[in-house]
Amino acid sequence: MARPTHAAEEARPAAQATATYLYGILPADVELTPEERGVGDPPGRTALVRHGDVAALVSELRLDRPLGRPQDLVAHQGLLDDVAAEVPVLPMRFGAVMESPEAVAEQLLVPHHDEFRAALEELEGRAQFVVKGRYVEGAVLREVLREEPEAAALRDQIKGLPEEATWDARIRLGEIVNRAVEAKRDADTGALAEALSPHAAAIVVREPTHEQDAAHLAVLVDTARQEEFEDALEECADRWADRVTLRLLGPQAPYDFVTGRPG
Amino acid sequence: MTIVQPSGGGAAARPQGGGGSLADVIDTILDKGLVIDAYVSVALVGIELLTINARVVVASVDTYLRFAQAVNRLDLSEGSKGLPELMQDMTQGVARSKTKGAAQGALEAAGEKLRELIGEPDEEPVRRRRRGREEA
Repeated sequence: MARPTHAAEEARPAAQATATYLYGILPADVELTPEERGVGDPPGRTALVRHGDVAALVSELRLDRPLGRPQDLVAHQGLLDDVAAEVPVLPMRFGAVMESPEAVAEQLLVPHHDEFRAALEELEGRAQFVVKGRYVEGAVLREVLREEPEAAALRDQIKGLPEEATWDARIRLGEIVNRAVEAKRDADTGALAEALSPHAAAIVVREPTHEQDAAHLAVLVDTARQEEFEDALEECADRWADRVTLRLLGPQAPYDFVTGRPG
Repeated sequence: MTIVQPSGGGAAARPQGGGGSLADVIDTILDKGLVIDAYVSVALVGIELLTINARVVVASVDTYLRFAQAVNRLDLSEGSKGLPELMQDMTQGVARSKTKGAAQGALEAAGEKLRELIGEPDEEPVRRRRRGREEA
């Protein structure tokens, strides 16, 4: 990842012991309580690097050990979500490291100041929520058996027989069920997004993370309309009773809504 | 359907904040968010990242066998609830395009909607730590 120019290479010490870990960009008029709760071992102390109207949330990181333990991942998101509860923030993808706070200011904040400020203004008063739906196994499989006669026949065929003796039938059965569940996921994801969209500023359909996922959405919600959004979700929950278990995560930093590249 | 809270204490569907389990965190911060390389070409520091298994759902023979096993152990006699008709209503007329989730366009679209829909969020119970900043 590090491809410093020749000049930059000469300008810094040969073996840098620490660097600056970057969490995200936020408005400069934020007061931060410095805390020992960043990524790294021991956890780095958080700080703000300001330039004009924008600031970078950073912490010092020792370079002598690898990054990415579970507590590092949780610290990264925990810090950003806490900040996002109070002010707009542009979250960085996990693993952004620069040479120094000065480099963050000069190389990142100065050249992209106006772009960051505009993006932060758009995110003012909004937060991300993640909605995950998981099928209730028995319920969805019964639906499939009712709708797919071949699956029901294969089920009768393998019943009570050892796996080795029914290998082909099992594969075929699993294939049918998998295809049917995928089709249900597409329909249910669309239905959920449709039901939530009047109460959301934007919605991103995420990839499923499990074969029995019913839906996986990231939703950008105006904080003033959060209750309305949650009511709509609860209505979906009631409609899907006994069929899908829904989880609501958030409010979070808008991870799914900042993937644009500098224009 | 049940809404499971990441941490207890709220009314149903009232989230308690946070990123949820480690799996949820992995889904969120490893391939989403701003990519530093898109903004900076010098003064980056390469660090060793511990290998984290990206959990991608790919239909495989294992998936098929798991589904077959699940069907095989299903007891059809117990509570055979039908697909609620409500679901059909809900599913009808779904326009994928409305939610196609082009992340790059989402922010712009969101900006338009903000101007249309949101007033001054003066009910917002959030503790503000900011120094005299006007609402944008």
